[in-house]
Amino acid sequence: MSSGQSSRGPGLSLVKEGSAVRSAHELDWSIYMARAQDGDREAYRRLLEEITPYLRSLATRRVPNRRDVEDAVQDALVTIHAVRHTYDPARPFGPWLVAIANRRIVDGLRRRGRTGARETPLDAEHETFAAPDANYHEAASEARALREAVERLPPGQREAVRLLKLKEMSLKEAAAVSGMTVAALKVATHRALKRLRKMLGRQDRRA
Amino acid sequence: MIATPDLVESLVANAAPVGRLRPPVARAVGWLLFAALMLALLAVSHEVRPDLALRLRQPEFVIGIAASLATGVLAAIASFLLSIPDRSRLWLFLPLPALFVWVATIGYGCLINWVSLQPGSLPFGDEAGCLALLVLTGVPLSLAMLIMLRHAALLAPTRVAISGGLAVAAVTATALSIFHNHDASAIILIWNLGTAALLVALGGAFGRRMFSWVAPH
Repeated sequence: MSSGQSSRGPGLSLVKEGSAVRSAHELDWSIYMARAQDGDREAYRRLLEEITPYLRSLATRRVPNRRDVEDAVQDALVTIHAVRHTYDPARPFGPWLVAIANRRIVDGLRRRGRTGARETPLDAEHETFAAPDANYHEAASEARALREAVERLPPGQREAVRLLKLKEMSLKEAAAVSGMTVAALKVATHRALKRLRKMLGRQDRRA
Repeated sequence: MIATPDLVESLVANAAPVGRLRPPVARAVGWLLFAALMLALLAVSHEVRPDLALRLRQPEFVIGIAASLATGVLAAIASFLLSIPDRSRLWLFLPLPALFVWVATIGYGCLINWVSLQPGSLPFGDEAGCLALLVLTGVPLSLAMLIMLRHAALLAPTRVAISGGLAVAAVTATALSIFHNHDASAIILIWNLGTAALLVALGGAFGRRMFSWVAPH
């Protein structure tokens, strides 16, 4: 949906429940729908594309969750498609549209209310498990701090940590890749870990 | 979830021409004609009650039958109006005045028959015939209404089912008063009202499921 179309939204919110303030669009929509009932696909496409932002603005007002708004819009579109034969072109289009949209929005809210009473959504900000070790977010931020600390190590130590700890190579493999001796690698790793510990400001557990 | 523009495309691709619904009142008249046909067929096969001519001279019987018929007609019109999205939901109350008169005549009938109702004289044998008649008229009428209003499944199934249940119940009750050759005892009157309450309650409780059963998918 282009932004040009959605910018029409506010002007259309004049069409309130029941009392139809006739806008120019409403007359267009009525004609489009009458043609769509006769099988004119182009008119139908234009109608659906024009009412989508309007439906979205209706749904935004009543549906709290951003993701559910689009669900409500699609639900309304599908319902409009299924009952398009109930529209009488002699009557204004606005109230027909608003009645269907509101009906489906309320149904959706009820449905989600029922589901919500039984289920807890697992969002990114939720812990996946009760154990603190599994707390994803904290781990992620710690990992970043660690990565930055590793970047600040002197080149030899950084290489040793990267090969032995991050890529999990054996001493022999690391020696072959880096050209350092096994003893030099061991020393570099030991110093690197000591230094990292100091940089991360803790004396503790992560030995 | 698919993207909304894609959904629009797929809906457009499925936009076969559709026949517009006729005005709701016209469709209600169609259903009522079907109901009249049912009653006519019953009259041929079942014979009207022998004392009908006599009963038709009693004002409370005539008022009762007219009220139940009016309830049926008004409730049918209300159902068809309610099934259209942009019609006011207040149409649900259209049959209320007739319903009130109907219930009042039943109450009055109960009252004046109460004294004559002896314990042990309850006509249990009649109830099988009574039930058969109810099923015979009620089931085809309910099915016809369900099919005619199937698009309401997506809109206001409960409201439409309550109103439709009342229409079926009222027409059925009218048939019962015309055909059932038992005196209009409290039992028969309670049967009428009981069936009406049952149908309306069923409509309210299972309307959504009933309609989604016949709804176009």
